[in-house]
Amino acid sequence: MTSKDLVLESASDRTIRFERDALVFMDQLYAAALRYTRNPEDARDLVQDTYIKAFTSFHQFEEGTNLRAWLYRVLTTTFINSYRKKQRQPLIANNELEDWQIDQAQSHTSDLGKSAEVEALENLPDSDIKNALQELPEEFRMAVYLADVEGFSYKEIAEIVGIPAGTVMSRLHRGRKLLREKLADYARELGYTTGTAGSTDSAAAEGEKP
Amino acid sequence: MSLFGAERIGCPEVLASIVFIIEDAIEQVERPQEVRNHIDLCPNCSRQLDHERLTHTFLVDALRRACVEKAPESLYESIQKQLMGAGSTTEVVTTFSMTEISIEIDEFGNVEHREVQIEETHVQHINFDDGLPGGKI
Repeated sequence: MTSKDLVLESASDRTIRFERDALVFMDQLYAAALRYTRNPEDARDLVQDTYIKAFTSFHQFEEGTNLRAWLYRVLTTTFINSYRKKQRQPLIANNELEDWQIDQAQSHTSDLGKSAEVEALENLPDSDIKNALQELPEEFRMAVYLADVEGFSYKEIAEIVGIPAGTVMSRLHRGRKLLREKLADYARELGYTTGTAGSTDSAAAEGEKP
Repeated sequence: MSLFGAERIGCPEVLASIVFIIEDAIEQVERPQEVRNHIDLCPNCSRQLDHERLTHTFLVDALRRACVEKAPESLYESIQKQLMGAGSTTEVVTTFSMTEISIEIDEFGNVEHREVQIEETHVQHINFDDGLPGGKI
């Protein structure tokens, strides 16, 4: 469809096209909304608002480009602009980039006996995984969710959330690390001895032992 | 503590680049080629990268498994209803016509009578979607 056709598209044709192309993402958007808002009522409202907003600006959407990413952008912007205020969530500090620099003082993980953490990841109940994700600060949670659950690239996430690509990287790095630490806590409660998920060993930082 | 002398980048910098490697964005780091070289030569960083990759794969699997949701059927219905409401526009047709009449009488007394009919039709589609976001049906 060319842009000329779009101009000629009648309102009812546009509704049909929107329903056909956009409504198939509802389960996915609802899942994201649940992770964003952390409760089903707000998630419901957020998805509804998202679809209405997307529909009223659907003529601006260029067919052939990524509709799914566009819908996530509408969802995320709507969430940031209205629901976040309502939820009054603590945001992560503005100095996240500086923290990221500090964070670079990393060292090798001493225990690469990966089986424990990986085994825990395989066996943790879904509820624990969701809870650990919910406990992340919102910015980290959104970045990790968009990358690891939805499979968006860092460039797409930068557009969806409206932040620079470098900030996406920093949030992914720190969000995943924090998430793994939280998952390790849940795993320990279940009796897994994962020890050092996401953390480092100072002995390794001092140099390799002969 | 670089194994390769001061001119090369050290393990901490390489380890901080792992997120870029996992995101397939190694070109975004300051010295991508040096990071690659370091990983090729440093068994510790290389092992760490493998470990991070593997763990990330399992983390992704766990998250995807846990985060599958089904939107309530009622949500689907209410969105569809709202879309149908938003999609129905009202057509307002405004027609105005005007007749221009000119009568000219020349010095010989001839009367020239002209009538020009001007007609214009405007069709306007009004979409009554104000206040829809958040509004419930």
